[in-house]
Amino acid sequence: MSWRAQGMRTWLLQRLTAVYLLLYGIFFGIYISLSSVQDFESWRALFTHPISNIATAVFFYSILYHAWVGIRDILIDYVPVAYLRFFLWVGMTFSLAVLAAWVSMILFNVVNL
Amino acid sequence: MRFKIQRFDPDKDKKPYLQDYVLENVTPGMMLRDALLELKAKDESLTFRHSCGEGVCGSDALNINGTNGLGCLTPVSDLKEPIIVRSVPGMPIVRDLVVDMTQFFHHYRAVKPYLTVTDPMPEVELHQTPEQRDKLDGLYECILCGCCTTSCPSFWWNPDKFRGPAALLQAYRFLADSRDQATDERLQELDGPYRMFRCHTIMNCVNVCPKGLNPTEAIHKIKKMMIKEMV
Repeated sequence: MSWRAQGMRTWLLQRLTAVYLLLYGIFFGIYISLSSVQDFESWRALFTHPISNIATAVFFYSILYHAWVGIRDILIDYVPVAYLRFFLWVGMTFSLAVLAAWVSMILFNVVNL
Repeated sequence: MRFKIQRFDPDKDKKPYLQDYVLENVTPGMMLRDALLELKAKDESLTFRHSCGEGVCGSDALNINGTNGLGCLTPVSDLKEPIIVRSVPGMPIVRDLVVDMTQFFHHYRAVKPYLTVTDPMPEVELHQTPEQRDKLDGLYECILCGCCTTSCPSFWWNPDKFRGPAALLQAYRFLADSRDQATDERLQELDGPYRMFRCHTIMNCVNVCPKGLNPTEAIHKIKKMMIKEMV
């Protein structure tokens, strides 16, 4: 993927992830208010089914990608010094990648395949 | 009527400052450009651009009480005193209210604001249906005064890379033209994180355009064309 293509592709994906975040948020909010999640065991059980597990993983990957584009835009707009911008961008990308790995580990540990 | 007008002489001043002026004989329907001309008659060192005086040439874009607009289309009676007149923001000041528009026209040239036809030229003119011609309304009227681009924060942050609303409106003017055959090249040229995608729909451009044009909508339509191109 060339640098030039980072315009349309990231813009479109930021919007698509926003739609998913909204839908997941609404669906999860309704589900959690209707179901009887009382304790840790029932909360954990929510994420053991592969479908809810994967949907949740996609939710977190979406939020991290969405944030990556958003923070990148802020850096491009407000950090004029090139090396500082690059340093912050690398740090931000690394942090979000660590979060993605962490989320993957947590969700993979509870899923019932 | 009281004025505070930006003064800057590159030979003497380190940075621009505001100078107080008072205009006694304000006539009904007087535009800011007329007032500036009256003031210049008394102090001929006061420097500003102007030409047609009726919003066609686009020479006298100014920052008037904090908002960009054309001096020739702004009645002084509508303005709160003291009327603060500065040069448009984000551009290097040459003198007083005159700015260097090089960057602005660099971006304008970069979008290739002319028809590109690869087919052999026909013996007659390139015809358009009335419907095809209608698509250019709201695009061709731009007078390149620069009010929009210089009011755009995205342009202030990245003036060397972001094309700015005026150039992007013109980019769409040729993308929307049924006679133009360089759609792919034009869209490719605008991709990337800077040239068009610095636009965050702040819409200062729409707010200040003296011709009532809508660059934000044009940018949105370019994005739609790009999506169509992808699928």
